[in-house]
Amino acid sequence: MSSSFDQILVGEEWEETDISLLETLDHVLNRGLVIAGEITIAVADIDLIFVGLNVLVSSVETAQEVLRNRQTDAD
Amino acid sequence: MAARPPNMKLYSYCMVEELNSVDTQIRGISDAPVRLLNVDDLGVLVSDSPSDTVPITRDNAFAHAAVIRSVLDRTTPLPFRFGTLVTEQQLTSYISSRKPALQTNFAAVRNCVEMSVKIIWQLPMAQAPDTQPLTQGVGTTFLAQKRRELAGDERRSAQAEEIATWLKETVTGLTRDERVTVRPAQKLVLSAAHLVERPAVPEYREKLATARQARPELHFLLSGPWPPYSFANIELEFKTQFGVS
Repeated sequence: MSSSFDQILVGEEWEETDISLLETLDHVLNRGLVIAGEITIAVADIDLIFVGLNVLVSSVETAQEVLRNRQTDAD
Repeated sequence: MAARPPNMKLYSYCMVEELNSVDTQIRGISDAPVRLLNVDDLGVLVSDSPSDTVPITRDNAFAHAAVIRSVLDRTTPLPFRFGTLVTEQQLTSYISSRKPALQTNFAAVRNCVEMSVKIIWQLPMAQAPDTQPLTQGVGTTFLAQKRRELAGDERRSAQAEEIATWLKETVTGLTRDERVTVRPAQKLVLSAAHLVERPAVPEYREKLATARQARPELHFLLSGPWPPYSFANIELEFKTQFGVS
């Protein structure tokens, strides 16, 4: 089964690699099995070029929320 | 090979069933080799982590996704969320204590993949400001403007719901499950994850490709097949968060 993105149609300013990152972040940061208290991540060098679509925004917010919760748990 | 310290953290990518080996060429976070850890009758794809944190970078995000995707042709994994670092003891305890729920989850996604649909629209133009302030008081003007805003909100909500209904009808009969988020006030008005049985994927693609021709006012971002990220842990997460068994 092909693993590539099969159909993409958004604004003409979007590159396929950007969409790949956007979709990958949306999936790996926002979804998936969680072992409570064991997510240890740090927001690093992700470009904020997707702010207009608000998908990455929600992803980064998720990441920051996880970090906040972790800090709260540690206190 | 040197023995691993018992408190060595394992970066965990996904859980699998009925898988005996992993691609030895695949590399994980920080270019680490990936191995299959067997716990009870289930497997977990892991790599040793020299660090206690995992930065969100392009490379790491893609590495996480690539490891999980590497087994998608052979089985349907349950992905862990990015950044899952645990000791082997914690991982074993997690699986042992939740095995029935995990098996239920595996059964729910077995032989399926996730297809993602995002729909973007141009929000309707905002109403022009009231142009008759001379004959109305400030309060009346404010209320009139508020009424127009509420009417706009209701119109957008109705349009968004119509789009959601249209999409649901488009893929009806082709999905085993779905997760749909509708945000009428956002440019990204709808985000849907569809759990599709593998043999139905070509028909699913054809249906959406044809259907979207009928909605030129909308932009579509369709991607997949994905491992079932959106269907991995609804029940489990609730149990984990709230301690309900």
